[in-house]
Amino acid sequence: MKRVPVHILAAGLAGLIGLSSIPALADDLVVGAAISLTGGLAYADVPAQKGMQLAIDEINAAGGIGGKYKIELKLKDSRSDPAQTSVAAQELIDDGAAVLVTPCDADPSIGAGQMAQAAGVAAFSTCASSPSLPLAVGDHMFTNFPGDNVQTTVSAKYAIDSGYKNAYLLMSPDTSYTMLPNYFKTVFEKLGGKVVGEDNYSMGQQDFSAQVTKIKSLSPAADVIMTGAYEPDFPAFIKQLRAAGITAPVIGSDGIDSPTTFALGDVAEGVVFSTAGFAAPGNPLDAFNKKYKAATGSDPDTIYIAIGYDLVKVLEAAVLKADSVDRDKVWAAVRELENVQGATSTITYKGTDGVPLRQVALVKVVKGNRELVLQEAPDPALVPAPKL
Amino acid sequence: MAEMEILIQQCVNALSLGGTYALLALGLAVVFSVLGMINFAHGEILTIAGYTVFFAIVGNVPPILIVPLALLVAMATAALMERIAFRPLRGANGTTLLITSFAVSGILQMLFQNLISTRPRPVPISASLTGAFNVGPFHIGVIQSLSIFATFAMVGLLTLFLKRTMLGIAIRAAAVDFPTTRLMGLRANRVILAAFAISGLLAGVSGLLWIAQRGSVDPLMGFLPVLKAFIAAILGGIGNLTGAVIGGFFLGAIEIGLQAVLPESVQPFRDAIALSLVVLVLLYRPQGLFGAAHSVRP
Amino acid sequence: MPLLEVESLAVNYGPIKAVLNVGLTVESGEIVTVLGANGAGKSTSLQAIVGLLPIQQGRVRFDGHDITGESTERIVRRGLTLTPEGRRIFAPLTVEENLRIGAATQGKGGDIAALWDQMMELFPILASRRKQLAGTLSGGEQQQLAIARSLMSKPKLLLLDEPSLGLAPIVVELIFDLIKRLRGLGITILVVEQNVHQALDIADRGYVVSGGSVVLSGTAAELKTSPDVQKAYMGHG
Ligand SMILES: Nc1ncnc2c1ncn2[C@@H]1O[C@H](COP(=O)(O)OP(=O)(O)OP(=O)(O)O)[C@@H](O)[C@H]1O
Ligand SMILES: [Mg+2]
Repeated sequence: MKRVPVHILAAGLAGLIGLSSIPALADDLVVGAAISLTGGLAYADVPAQKGMQLAIDEINAAGGIGGKYKIELKLKDSRSDPAQTSVAAQELIDDGAAVLVTPCDADPSIGAGQMAQAAGVAAFSTCASSPSLPLAVGDHMFTNFPGDNVQTTVSAKYAIDSGYKNAYLLMSPDTSYTMLPNYFKTVFEKLGGKVVGEDNYSMGQQDFSAQVTKIKSLSPAADVIMTGAYEPDFPAFIKQLRAAGITAPVIGSDGIDSPTTFALGDVAEGVVFSTAGFAAPGNPLDAFNKKYKAATGSDPDTIYIAIGYDLVKVLEAAVLKADSVDRDKVWAAVRELENVQGATSTITYKGTDGVPLRQVALVKVVKGNRELVLQEAPDPALVPAPKL
Repeated sequence: MAEMEILIQQCVNALSLGGTYALLALGLAVVFSVLGMINFAHGEILTIAGYTVFFAIVGNVPPILIVPLALLVAMATAALMERIAFRPLRGANGTTLLITSFAVSGILQMLFQNLISTRPRPVPISASLTGAFNVGPFHIGVIQSLSIFATFAMVGLLTLFLKRTMLGIAIRAAAVDFPTTRLMGLRANRVILAAFAISGLLAGVSGLLWIAQRGSVDPLMGFLPVLKAFIAAILGGIGNLTGAVIGGFFLGAIEIGLQAVLPESVQPFRDAIALSLVVLVLLYRPQGLFGAAHSVRP
Repeated sequence: MPLLEVESLAVNYGPIKAVLNVGLTVESGEIVTVLGANGAGKSTSLQAIVGLLPIQQGRVRFDGHDITGESTERIVRRGLTLTPEGRRIFAPLTVEENLRIGAATQGKGGDIAALWDQMMELFPILASRRKQLAGTLSGGEQQQLAIARSLMSKPKLLLLDEPSLGLAPIVVELIFDLIKRLRGLGITILVVEQNVHQALDIADRGYVVSGGSVVLSGTAAELKTSPDVQKAYMGHG
């Protein structure tokens, strides 16, 4: 019964100082999520939201963070539109959000992040992996996924260690994510590899026959192919690649960590990709998957669910550290977080520019199942600087 | 590979891609020829064909029935669209119909996202479809040859239908002069419904090829195909069926050609260059390569 | 009972009142002509009768049924059709296809073959041009095709809108001969014409439309000698 007066007091205060909206309870952590429930980013944001919700329910059921602070999630559909994301972000901030969650892509996150930056609110992208996102916004912007440069450092080193020397890169200028083979290139060349060919594609183009014909005519031939392509481009590409009789191994990134990849059959056999985590019996991701299944009745079909869970675990750790739900204190605490145990990995923000130190898992597709190749955090000295 | 072989291989590539575009454009053009409207919800018919395959596989429908089922559902979807969304607006101007079709497209995408999933659904295609065979030095993918074959088969069947059957002749007549077609005692609703069903069938075939290539079905996957179809149809002369087919092949040739010849540094501008080429063609031939169909509409 | 009975018909194009008050009857077996200046509302009336334009006011009865507001396809199936002004043949279709689609109401069966033979006899010129694209026919041939196409639906009453429009005198002659022969085949004809002389020569009766209303009617003989008709349309005194 302690809350009611606080609520009324807060409302009265808001009236006094002329705020149009009513702030939430003073001891709730208000998380404003301006994420895409519809449109082109819904494929990632909707699962991330499910993971967040699971963590929130869990924490609230246990009496809140540290038994004190409940989490209140305010959700606004940003419809995969950058302008809409900014509008939603501003509304949520005005509505008292102490933390903002932005979509799984750098473009809408930049605009929304800038609003958060101006308001002094910490902002987290659900699963954008662009390492330049915090650079573009400022010290209040955080990412929550292994960065493109981090993932490709691990995969490039793996390629060299596997004895591959001549790489072919396939990228699309349509998004910064699909340009990630450029980071791979930096590391691969630094370690003595050579890029013998690279091509662009347009997202959604379906037809890769021209690229495949080019790969076939490369001299020297490529002994490894690296791409950041994902659905629907990746399946189309690899089918056409294999159909042309090219057997070179293919390395991808987390974008293809999707049921489609494992349903592709023979053509996807042996594909290796980097992703945020790997569920091995008894490890945290495995435990999370079981928990999710128990709560929802279905197996998680994408890593983004666990990633959403991670995000809330980070917030939990920050509030615990700050022992407050004050926006400034929470933000300051995030910057000091070390080794927060998430579902996919341990997560560290201390000493970073907002891109967390996380482990990267390299997963191989074997007979339609995932097999762990390795899981590690890369040597920081090898990781290329973010490209803006 | 020798230069010559690469050239021939790229021609096969262009033929296959162009064929897919031709089928898509033809689907748009059939409806446009009769009603004077671009149905932007055409892409969602592809999506529905894809979901049909997905659910059929999940539901253990015998493989042999999946393709006919998907085509049937695609045709029914197109027919329902006409019945529910467009018929009440019969006689409205092209812009109204166009905007309505945008709305239909948006509503369907929303339904897919809310009722099925925002995530792509995998559609495992049998391995026999993902292979390739050799003709001399050339590797020809099964899906690639299938799309070339499907294009020619569909164009052939459609030609037969349009030339030999009363309904087919009626569709061609309606494309020229709708009121006079009614004076022949032909039921306007039937002719229009038939045009939609055909466009649905074409969308279904394109959808199956599209799905076979991408291996998944996604709530928003219809947008790009309909855009390409639109460009190809405009290029060929909107509403002109022959033009739509040629426009499709032309667009395929431009895209593959640019992909093949442009230096790496210019590749990022490929789509812009391709579209500029299309604009250039339209500057010289505003009615498209084959001239737009002129007609008296319902 | 007349085969066709049109009662105080009014038709608008949006705000434009094109037909104000047209009333006419056609008895079975008759040839009736409708005369009138350009823009008088003749074509509009015919199109409204066959359901191509919405009727604002008035009634249309055909063959004992009230067909006001019925769809064109239904009216055609009742045995009333129109050969529209300007022929409106399907140019990109062949002659054969134009005729085939004309028989759309006939269903399948032996009738079509008989109809076809009849058309070839009535229009010998079309027989030699079956596979030719209709758009490449001469004007006179196109008009014959348009009429033949209408006849393929086996109408009881055929409305002809200016069948002689833009044709050389010798072809005009041929068309008028044809109209007479059609009567012989049991087809009733309502023909709109600018060739007032020839129209009144073959017609039993006629109506004169002006400013959207019927202003005069009578037997062909009466109209021929009417000073109004002579003055307005026949270039006399
Ligand atoms: N589609 C239309 N929209 C608006 N007004 C029209 C339309 N068609 C005809 N009109 C008008 O209706 C009136 C009657 O036209 P209609 O074609 O019936 O004349 P008509 O008697 O057949 O003339 P003509 O002998 O020149 O063929 C004219 O004033 C004409 O301008
Ligand atoms: Mg007229």
